[in-house]
Amino acid sequence: MDRSNPVTKILRGLALLAIGLFFLFPLFWVALMSFQTNEQILRIPPSIVFEPTLSNYWALISGRLVSTAGVLEIKFMGNLWNSVFLSTTSVALALILGVPAAYAFARFRFRLSEDIAFTLLSFRFAPPLLVLLPLSLYFQDIGLTDTYVGLIWVYQLIALPLILWIVRGYFEDISPDIEHAYRIDGHSWWKTFTKIALPLARPGIAAAALLSFIFCWNNFIFALILASAGKQPVTVGALAFVTASGIQYGQIAAAVILSILPTLLLALYAQRYLVEGLSLGAVKG
Amino acid sequence: MAFLDLDRLSLAFKKEQVLKEASLQVERGETVVVFGPSGGGKTVLLRLVSGVMQPDSGDVRLNGRSILDQGPEERGVGMAFQNFALYPHMPAFENIASPLRARRLADSEIERRVHETARLLKIDHVLKHFPKELSNGQKQRTALGRALIAGPEVLLLDDPLRNVDAKLRYEMRIELPRLLKSFGGSVLYVTQDYKEAMALGDRVAVLLDGRFLQIDRPAEIYKNPADVRIARLFGDPTINLYPVQPRPAGNGIEIELFGSKVTLPGSHGHLQGRECLMGLRPEHIHVHTEPVEGGLPMELDAVTPLNVRTVLFLRTQDNRELLATCSEHEQGNFGRGHRAVHARIDFERALFFEPASGTRLPAAA
Amino acid sequence: MAATTATQPTASPRKSRLGPALLPYLLSLPALLVCIGIIIPFFTAVWYSLQRYNLNLPYLRGFVWFQQYIDLFSDPSFWHTVQVSLLYTALTVILELLLGLGIALLLRRPSTLHNIMSIALLLPLMVAPAIASLMWKLMTHPDFGILSWLIQQVGITNFRWAAAPSSALFTVLLVDIWVYTPFMMILLLAGLRGLPKQPFEAAELDGVPASFVFFRITLPMLTPYIITAALFRMLDSIQQFDIIYAMTQGGPGDTLMVFQVMAYLDFFQNFNVGRSAAVLMVLWAIAYLLSNVFIKHWLRLRERARGAA
Repeated sequence: MDRSNPVTKILRGLALLAIGLFFLFPLFWVALMSFQTNEQILRIPPSIVFEPTLSNYWALISGRLVSTAGVLEIKFMGNLWNSVFLSTTSVALALILGVPAAYAFARFRFRLSEDIAFTLLSFRFAPPLLVLLPLSLYFQDIGLTDTYVGLIWVYQLIALPLILWIVRGYFEDISPDIEHAYRIDGHSWWKTFTKIALPLARPGIAAAALLSFIFCWNNFIFALILASAGKQPVTVGALAFVTASGIQYGQIAAAVILSILPTLLLALYAQRYLVEGLSLGAVKG
Repeated sequence: MAFLDLDRLSLAFKKEQVLKEASLQVERGETVVVFGPSGGGKTVLLRLVSGVMQPDSGDVRLNGRSILDQGPEERGVGMAFQNFALYPHMPAFENIASPLRARRLADSEIERRVHETARLLKIDHVLKHFPKELSNGQKQRTALGRALIAGPEVLLLDDPLRNVDAKLRYEMRIELPRLLKSFGGSVLYVTQDYKEAMALGDRVAVLLDGRFLQIDRPAEIYKNPADVRIARLFGDPTINLYPVQPRPAGNGIEIELFGSKVTLPGSHGHLQGRECLMGLRPEHIHVHTEPVEGGLPMELDAVTPLNVRTVLFLRTQDNRELLATCSEHEQGNFGRGHRAVHARIDFERALFFEPASGTRLPAAA
Repeated sequence: MAATTATQPTASPRKSRLGPALLPYLLSLPALLVCIGIIIPFFTAVWYSLQRYNLNLPYLRGFVWFQQYIDLFSDPSFWHTVQVSLLYTALTVILELLLGLGIALLLRRPSTLHNIMSIALLLPLMVAPAIASLMWKLMTHPDFGILSWLIQQVGITNFRWAAAPSSALFTVLLVDIWVYTPFMMILLLAGLRGLPKQPFEAAELDGVPASFVFFRITLPMLTPYIITAALFRMLDSIQQFDIIYAMTQGGPGDTLMVFQVMAYLDFFQNFNVGRSAAVLMVLWAIAYLLSNVFIKHWLRLRERARGAA
């Protein structure tokens, strides 16, 4: 195929260029916008030559948006913090709950194990609103509406099935004899789990954790329904911010960049795990 | 009372009965080889002793006390797995040290004993390597070191030479008995290689279809197999088997064999009138180039040297195959085969089996 | 006692003592409890869907059997929702599949450029769909949006993107394709690179034409991956909420009123809990059927992978 004629080579090159442009240009353009003032943004024709400004980011970080109409208080940094806190704790909890369960599913053929596993898997495919709407009424009754606890609990719906299915596959790939050998050496069950099973499944645990972190971070609908402004993550917060700030387009762009930067950096940093998690989570299970 | 007592162990997987009331007693310091074809339940037996599996019924007693309610970590046995089961994320040193770490020995003591064991097994130069950097032979020795190091009362070896190459297997077959004797504990050694069983076992326990068919000294099993299947498994080249029907003739009994009538020695008189399977060990067939007293004429098809013995492929007059052996220096007489020869069969040492069940028919009292 | 549980040759320690027999249950219990907390609302939703239940009119609440469903099925706006949802699902899955397959084929041979490209293409997948919608709203803004400006340059002056019923679906599709095509691409690329080499080498030696290789070798061997990826996307797409809600809230008018947006608005704008639950139950039934197909296919793949290993 590499020895193909120059015409196909050029066509391939053009196709790759078009693909690259379509998928990366929006990120690039919004990033440019975030360093522009409103006047620069509204200039026609648009130009990529401009004097960059950090004022949009400063306004978001300081939480005060000064405009001709007055001063607007914004809680965007609060939203960002909520995203960090909710995603991190949700994944941590899902790991604590999910990894031992994944181990149990992989190692013990106990009664109900397949049923439980299927139930969990089917959550992945149920419409989220089906659970969320009744839950919103329940949460009002038991006082979990607009609390971190309530949100983290519901976030398990995203993180737990992912972790269970990816990590279970990794545990199944470890030869049980390795664990048997360690037990026979004189180590307790718990020691065997922590010193043999966990370290050997680490790539799978890392992939599952990374993937569920990103899915938690990117979730929109849960917080839209169960949280008000104070507890909202960036996905919901950014949308509310658009409504609030009106025509401050530079700040909107800066907010977009701040809210996607963590996942983008994480993806670039650990792309190997990410690809593995995505493809294994889908194909292998 | 035996030191290690496996008492009527039974276990089924998905309706398939793997062990059927298998019983075996092992004395202190004794090496018993559990021999049998693959899938015969040998590995399962070791797992029951080590505690990573539980029997459906039966008991495992050590020093007279049942150990079934003890976890694998409490039983104090050592085990080497057929697939080595080394810890891939630990260097060889830590693999071997693992049982000592479990016993919470001091670091200096662990250091000393791991090096001592590694020197004994000739792997002291690769202690820093991870399992994936070790050769199969080194992996096998590491696994052996790990099983031995804590000086367990019972050592379980699951076909440890299965996954190493022929040369190494040959070396280890010579080296292992010395090692096991110096170790001093009781050993249950699983193999499906009869030569390993002969070389290593104080006794051999033949496990077939979930039962111990025969438990005896290796030479005894070879000489007096309790079952035709054991006779087949023990011996290389394999035993020759022919259906015969001894009939009274004159003052003895005779059979029809290879197109001739043959009179059997008086010691087989009790088989008269019974259909049976006659087994002839190749080394009990003496082949001559010239006619001999009592020799049967046959054709020599091929001559194949095998270790110290040479295998002779014979074709009988009724067109059956018969294997015989001769010593190396006799081999020269036969050239490359394709010639008429005369075989004198030592019928005194023929073995007779019941054709249906395969059970050995007893020799006359 | 020990003999009560089923045993596998590779099963872990199972002892006659009580503790170890309970171990697997103990290990999965916490996860199970969390799940029960999620199953309860599911049954509540089933219960709601059989009631006349409006938060504004609590005194009218009552059990009506399947009346909600009967009303729903005789309501043209519901059939409009079914139509829009199915159209949206079909278009996204087909377009993303074709595009994802094309990109995967282009990037098939591992090289530095191809690897950098495939990592770069991960980025849109990392952007929250709601945020991605925001980005495209900025890009299609009538005053300064770069796409609005570009389209004016080619002479189309009155293109209103998501704001006009005629172009709203197109605009939302663009966002969906931008976010989710990389997912297809990653799965198919992993599939392509994992295919055995021999058939292709043999075909090359025999001088078989490229189109024949593609349709007779590549495509059949890739089919399990294609089905997996397509089913995954189908299940997500039929339930799409984030992108449509963030872009148009189901509008303009009811142009993009898909299942979950309809249920959301029924609940939070009309406070009609019963109808909202009934809409979701219909969606759940569709998703359940799809996911059953999916899980069966998945288990077959897994068995095959195990068998080969």
